[in-house]
Amino acid sequence: MKKRILIANRSEIAIRIIRSAHKLGMLAVVFKSDKEPDALYLKYADEIIPAKDSLREKAIFLDAERIVQLALAHNIDLIHPGYGFLSENPDFAALCIENNINFVGPSPELIREMGLKTVAKSMAIKSGLPLVPGSDGPVNDAGAAKGFADKIGYPVILKASAGGGGRGMRIVEKPETIERNFKSASDEALAAFGNGDMFIEKYLQNPKHLEFQILGDKHGNVIHLGERECSLQRKHQKIVEESPSASVTPEMRKEMGDMAVRFAKSIGYYSAGTIEFIMDEDGSYFFMEMNTRIQVEHPVTEMVTGVDLVDWQIRIALGEELTINQEDIKINGWAIECRVNTEDPQNRFSPQTGFIDKIHFPIDSSIRIETGVVSGSVVTPYFDSMIAKIIVHGKDRGEAIEKSLAALYEFSLIGLKTTVPFCRTVLKHPDFVNATYTTRWVDQVFSPEMLENEEDEMIGALAATIMYASEYLQLSSDLPTYKHDSLNVWVLNKRLNY
Amino acid sequence: MGTSYIYKRDASRLFIAVRDSGKRYKIYIPKESNPVINSVEQDINFVEQEDFHYIFDWKGKRFHCELVSRDQNKAVIKVNGVEYKYSLESIFSYIRRGMINSDENKIDANNIIAPMPGKIVDIFLSDGDLVNEGEPILTLEAMKMQNEITANCNGVIRKIRVQTGQSVMKDELLVEIQSIDV
Repeated sequence: MKKRILIANRSEIAIRIIRSAHKLGMLAVVFKSDKEPDALYLKYADEIIPAKDSLREKAIFLDAERIVQLALAHNIDLIHPGYGFLSENPDFAALCIENNINFVGPSPELIREMGLKTVAKSMAIKSGLPLVPGSDGPVNDAGAAKGFADKIGYPVILKASAGGGGRGMRIVEKPETIERNFKSASDEALAAFGNGDMFIEKYLQNPKHLEFQILGDKHGNVIHLGERECSLQRKHQKIVEESPSASVTPEMRKEMGDMAVRFAKSIGYYSAGTIEFIMDEDGSYFFMEMNTRIQVEHPVTEMVTGVDLVDWQIRIALGEELTINQEDIKINGWAIECRVNTEDPQNRFSPQTGFIDKIHFPIDSSIRIETGVVSGSVVTPYFDSMIAKIIVHGKDRGEAIEKSLAALYEFSLIGLKTTVPFCRTVLKHPDFVNATYTTRWVDQVFSPEMLENEEDEMIGALAATIMYASEYLQLSSDLPTYKHDSLNVWVLNKRLNY
Repeated sequence: MGTSYIYKRDASRLFIAVRDSGKRYKIYIPKESNPVINSVEQDINFVEQEDFHYIFDWKGKRFHCELVSRDQNKAVIKVNGVEYKYSLESIFSYIRRGMINSDENKIDANNIIAPMPGKIVDIFLSDGDLVNEGEPILTLEAMKMQNEITANCNGVIRKIRVQTGQSVMKDELLVEIQSIDV
């Protein structure tokens, strides 16, 4: 009998996981959320479970108890959590296992340990990973935080021990403001995560974000699949990712990769995972955290290594042994991913919701499109604003940038604004071309005027004029008494309608 | 073709689009040929039109234009995903506004007067036509000589004050031209 895998997620990642499930001969089951009843991913599934979550505050994807309850009622063998939602919730993983459902991911204990940054860091120290100078554990009060910061020097960053996504995080430039910042960050963390524990560390001014993809099985084998650079972020969230990174030499790749593997082995890690590093301007790097889920940007790694990470995640969950050795992993060419979010880059990336009247993606053998929408889809306010990823492969970085730009120019979406013009601006900018960009690029370099160009402006003026003129000329001919110098046409139109 | 391209064209097809930055585009939209933007004919290919969405090809590139919003003569157009704001005017409202606030747009009324007494034998243009400096507007016959009376500036013919066959005195007003730099 075919195994039944339930995907406790939505949008592009649900479709991505369905693809792997089918490749492995499984039946793919998804939830139909009342908050998004016409979603595209539903069309790809073999079976749909109505979640009936319209009257509940939470979408089904956040409701651990109900997911497991429905999974049991539908004879589910495995649950794949995707990313976000409950993917790194140890209680959810534990609940699955208690109910004899195979959770596609590492053990609940590992998720819990890696989720608590202070615990993860102390485990990293044991494997000899370098850490940014900072507190060994949570700092209990503002006074202690100040004492510590005075010792390591400013600026420092305060982070919620249980945090993520920028919440409960403060950068403190000088001693006078540390106590106030500590209080507000701690309160924010308590409200958001139910845990007000804070830790403190030295703040790197212009860092790069690097991460190593690893795969480990339940038999103690671990390999790494090279790095991704995800320094291009806005609001602490990634927008453009690439693999490999131009800032990592082959020697560093080996050193950092070995380190990542050593760490994963030391904690008995299995499933796909990501070990994040922060790199300073001088090239020194430090362990940040480990993510225990499949990541949004996993396709860039797949494109340069040829390894299907989601397939392996599922096969590992089923107990299969890795058949790839470290020596088999070769980095072939370069891959860049651009995230298409329905956000307005001209207005502080504010989210856009509504209808996608028309969407067009580029098609080419070197382009991979992962999307959860089609023309006519609705972007609701209930979920994330990412609607697609455009991943492009080139023989080298230059070609990958060039092809990505061509792909971004071919992309079009009528109805909502997206991050695509922003990605084009990034890919054309010298800081990206020279690979000197850091996580501060958006704050320090980007301004909305950079999205504009003279050709677009001129064609826009033409389009505006044609739309105006077609009404103007129409009105002139419709109304013989209408003198075209008496009124502006749109004003007239309004008067005629009221 | 330079400025002579707009010779004897209908001024009701000439528009001014001003961006919020103040940058100005003079756009002439002929019935059947390419648009003339800031006096230069542009080989812009109109690919597709659907509701308020236009697609153009120009210089080998594609431009998706979508009308995002409009309020009276203000329009927001999204071009390849980025919004630009314009205010639009016909050449007539532009001239009128220019007369009210002449510092802004360099618009002057130019009168053409009869250089000698004579008779109007031919009129080539009509009110509202675009005209270039030096372009003949009418023929004045005086002392058995046909004299072409030409425009003294680039602009729009505001009013032709005479008719064919009419006799005129020296210094009589023949034509009013609204001078604009088109």
